[in-house]
Amino acid sequence: MATATATPSKPFDIVATYNDLLRSDPDLTMPIAAIEALVLLLTHSPSSTISETLDLLEKSTTHLKQSIANPIGLSAGTDLFQRYLITTLQRPGQLGPAGDFNAIRAHLLSNGRLFIRRAKESRNKIAAFGRGFVRDGSTVLTNGGSRVVASLLQKAADEKGGPSAVRFRVIYVLSPSKGDVENTSADAEGMETVRTLRSKGVPVATIPESAVAYSLGKADMVIVGAEGVVENGGIVSRMGTYQIGLLAKAMGKPFYVVAESHKFVRLYPLGQYDLPIEQHVLDFKTEEDIADQAGKDNTKQSEGAPEVNMVDASESPLGRSDVVDFTPPHLISALITDSGVLTPSAVSEELIKIWF
Amino acid sequence: MPSTALALTPGLASFLKSLKTNPIDTSIDNLISCASKYLPQYFFEIATDTVARLLKRRQIRHSRSCATATAYLLLRVISACRTTDAAKLIERVQSVGRRLVAAQPREMVVGNIVRRVLGLIRDEAEDDRDAEFALSEASESQPQTPRVTDDPSVPHERDTLSLRHEASERSSSRPPVASSTTTPISMFSLLSHPEPEPSLPGSPVSVSPSGRVLSHGPNKDVRAEVLDGIGEIIDELGQVDDQIAAYALDHIHSNEIILTHTSSTTVQRFLLKAAAKRKFTVIHAESYPNNHEATHATVSGNSGGDEEILSTESFQKPLIALGITVILIPDSAVFALMSRVNKVILGTHSVLANGGLVAAAGTRVIARAAKVHQTPVVVVSGVYKLSPVYPFDFESLIEYGDASKVVGYDDGDLVDQIDVQNPLYDYVPAELVDLYITNLGGHAPSYLYRIVSDHYRKEDISF
Repeated sequence: MATATATPSKPFDIVATYNDLLRSDPDLTMPIAAIEALVLLLTHSPSSTISETLDLLEKSTTHLKQSIANPIGLSAGTDLFQRYLITTLQRPGQLGPAGDFNAIRAHLLSNGRLFIRRAKESRNKIAAFGRGFVRDGSTVLTNGGSRVVASLLQKAADEKGGPSAVRFRVIYVLSPSKGDVENTSADAEGMETVRTLRSKGVPVATIPESAVAYSLGKADMVIVGAEGVVENGGIVSRMGTYQIGLLAKAMGKPFYVVAESHKFVRLYPLGQYDLPIEQHVLDFKTEEDIADQAGKDNTKQSEGAPEVNMVDASESPLGRSDVVDFTPPHLISALITDSGVLTPSAVSEELIKIWF
Repeated sequence: MPSTALALTPGLASFLKSLKTNPIDTSIDNLISCASKYLPQYFFEIATDTVARLLKRRQIRHSRSCATATAYLLLRVISACRTTDAAKLIERVQSVGRRLVAAQPREMVVGNIVRRVLGLIRDEAEDDRDAEFALSEASESQPQTPRVTDDPSVPHERDTLSLRHEASERSSSRPPVASSTTTPISMFSLLSHPEPEPSLPGSPVSVSPSGRVLSHGPNKDVRAEVLDGIGEIIDELGQVDDQIAAYALDHIHSNEIILTHTSSTTVQRFLLKAAAKRKFTVIHAESYPNNHEATHATVSGNSGGDEEILSTESFQKPLIALGITVILIPDSAVFALMSRVNKVILGTHSVLANGGLVAAAGTRVIARAAKVHQTPVVVVSGVYKLSPVYPFDFESLIEYGDASKVVGYDDGDLVDQIDVQNPLYDYVPAELVDLYITNLGGHAPSYLYRIVSDHYRKEDISF
């Protein structure tokens, strides 16, 4: 493998690997990138006993989770991998406790590519399941830059002119692009999907988030992606999904979530403010606070660089466009996953299948 | 010969009779030994055609009649199919099933019965294959099973009723062990190797959906087992109303006012069971124009006419004979009376995987009115009506009936100038239903997915 020879001398940096993986393949989801990073870590590690391996895995996972601003999506992957490894190692046989550790390593390596291929295949599977949802003559409202939603809509659009021609329209909710402060000319997230759909002949209307309530009357259904699907069947998704869910409920429109089953996380959030991540969305300030802040910034700048970094880290752990909210299960009509169309209450069962 | 005899059958009863008494039926068994392959083939081609035609013409209408006809047909198909090869049986049943479903796509129960038979064949085929690993499998799955069913799989809506269901489910014919081991562990299959390692066949990780190979080798008679299984399904269809009625006393209390709709025999049986012990009042909406005659007959107890379908039920005493006050109201009065109703009990045509239901037209209005008044809505339905189909498009589920029932064709002036529609069914979303009572017990609508996954195999959902 090419990556194995890349950094023989330097200690393996799980965070950098994870970020590299995410950057190198735009189709990669966070859980799969995390799994791949962990596989690379294990193939690099010199550990030779099970407890050593599990310990290393535990430490790296914690480290990775701490270093990434929003570890919800990622933790689905690390949990899944950890669980898989424990089951594999405890199983009698060649890969079990009595087996040769090098064999285990080889097995993991050979499967590394497979994971990613399967993850991408599951997207196609979902598109096949979800095709039935996009009916002829319907209008779909969607948001964000979810790759699964994009592939679902594209799949439906591809059938145009085929035997099961589906004519549908899309209302795309665009949110301000990433890093809007520095780069105002940058495309909003999802613009690429909009262009692809338009090139396939699907009429797409783009609206700002503030126009959702206004436009929803014209839509037949809402389809959104998710970063993580939590135990109670709710979803953690980009900021703004919750309000779309509420509006869809109020207007009686079905609200569908498209997510791969490897995004299922063992997390039971009780509300918006119960997510295990720090987001400074609400930042109450008085004039005095702002003045204080400005003064502090000035002194920091005169003192030197390292402290500026520290302030930056504590001030905005997440960029504006990376913030997420939690959509509770009662707003969701169904989850379209690679294991079928599930009701929100079926999510916990899927999770239990893995953990018990 | 059989083609004419079967083609002219007016309904289910005669179809079943022809299946039983047709001379060709006995001759099949005799002729099989002579390796006459064409005759059985010929026979079930005709039988399939007949059922398909009956369905298409709506000569079989009630869900249960459709289910029974399908089950008997498949029984014939499998007994005529002289092979122990499960894959061939599945293929045969699938082709028959596809034709039946194509004949009447809105009749969900036909597909349900076909799926259950397919599941039976698959289970038998896998049982054979797994028999040799039984020891390792059992030791691994036994400790796992109680946890799978006891864990709060529906954490936010779990109530005592679904707990009670589990108790009954465990005692039912399908043990939960089977369901927990046969359903592939979906997320792990993402990680496991594509080809299952032959040295570890029993472990959950290696059981990937693609790794399920149906046995082809010489084995015990799969066919006989499947025929037994279909016999059980037919028995279930016969007992389902009584099993549901057994829960009646838990739900109907003294002096309650119950509102119901249509002449559903399941609901009648349910109410009669409670009436044997308790006094309550029943408000019966007449369900004009498609079911009002049958409803009137049910209320008054002189059921005439449609004896063929209600043959056993017509011997049933009406509620009034048991001293129950029954008030017959027009459908338009439902909302006005809803404030005085304690409970709404509804029959249904079919139940969908998301907890919604397709029921006689007018049901949604009643469910909606009940919601406004916070009156509990209870739906009684056999498990055979529970379909794994997800309602993508509600409109496509609604069947339209004879418009002349609304405006007679003799009213020429009116018929010429207006477009009359007579939908037979309503789609009722899951939010409007509080409780389902099936022959397995009471379930919250959000729990139905579990029963669906217990009864149907994932690979059969679209056969």
